[in-house]
Amino acid sequence: MSALRAAGGQLVGMFVTDWRQTVVIVLILAGSWALVAATHSPLAGAAMLVLLGAQLVYFTMAEARRRSRG
Amino acid sequence: MVSTLLVFGTAFLGSAVESVEALTIVLAVGLTRGWRSPLAGAAAAVVVLAALVGIFGQVLVAVVPDWLLKVAIGSLILLFGLRWLHKAVLRSAGVIALRDEQEAFRELESELAGATDWVGFLISFKGVFLEGLEVAFIVFGVGSSTHNLPLAAAGGLAAVVVVVAVGAALRKPLSRVPENQMKYAVGVLLSSLGTFWAAEGMGVTWPFDFVAILGIAAFYLVASQVAVAVIRGRRGVPVAA
Repeated sequence: MSALRAAGGQLVGMFVTDWRQTVVIVLILAGSWALVAATHSPLAGAAMLVLLGAQLVYFTMAEARRRSRG
Repeated sequence: MVSTLLVFGTAFLGSAVESVEALTIVLAVGLTRGWRSPLAGAAAAVVVLAALVGIFGQVLVAVVPDWLLKVAIGSLILLFGLRWLHKAVLRSAGVIALRDEQEAFRELESELAGATDWVGFLISFKGVFLEGLEVAFIVFGVGSSTHNLPLAAAGGLAAVVVVVAVGAALRKPLSRVPENQMKYAVGVLLSSLGTFWAAEGMGVTWPFDFVAILGIAAFYLVASQVAVAVIRGRRGVPVAA
């Protein structure tokens, strides 16, 4: 049973490193989808990309700070 | 031409990285406990994986509408790619250690001391199954969203064949493979492909169609390099040239 749980954990780990970051990414995707549906503008794709890039910078910097504090 | 290179290249690189990790596990068991149990475990994992992927893959492609497949698979590829890119940034910035296949091999070797053949079989099965699942995900995700599953499968298969052949010849961990740089590249590619398809599934029409992925990749490369530079700057580590 514990082996199955460990395997399940590894499966989830394929997509999730940090749950907060994952929630933020999902919110960005959901928000972008709503924006596309409302505006039908190609800029919605660009906005999604910028936000995803920004979250990458933010969360890597946050993790680096966390690790340096030990 | 661009789409062909991206599909094959991404599937090849991503599958190669995962295959190297699976190979390390099988080699550690084989060189420690003999070859029968790890090879049997690896073979069993491949059979189970092929069956699962074959069944679920067919069902998914046949039942799920194209736009939903793009949003769902694109989002999962994006999450997968961003996870790799996140770790690649931290490795490049020196925050976490680089992946060292020799070290992974030695750790597993010491864990296996005194273990039975059944344990060797299970470790090999689990390692090959989980790494193989990532290969299958990369190949299926990249291939199904571009409606070019055969090309993606060819890239994945080519990578597995190359890694297994080299590993069988050398009989030691492929520590000289630039795994960390490859993970960085695959992280950028998968994040870009996932972003492109998820947005397309939502209804976005990207300018220049598939070529836009190159622009998206350039953006992620710049963003990740900015993160590396800022983190290294704060740690007082000079940015690599």
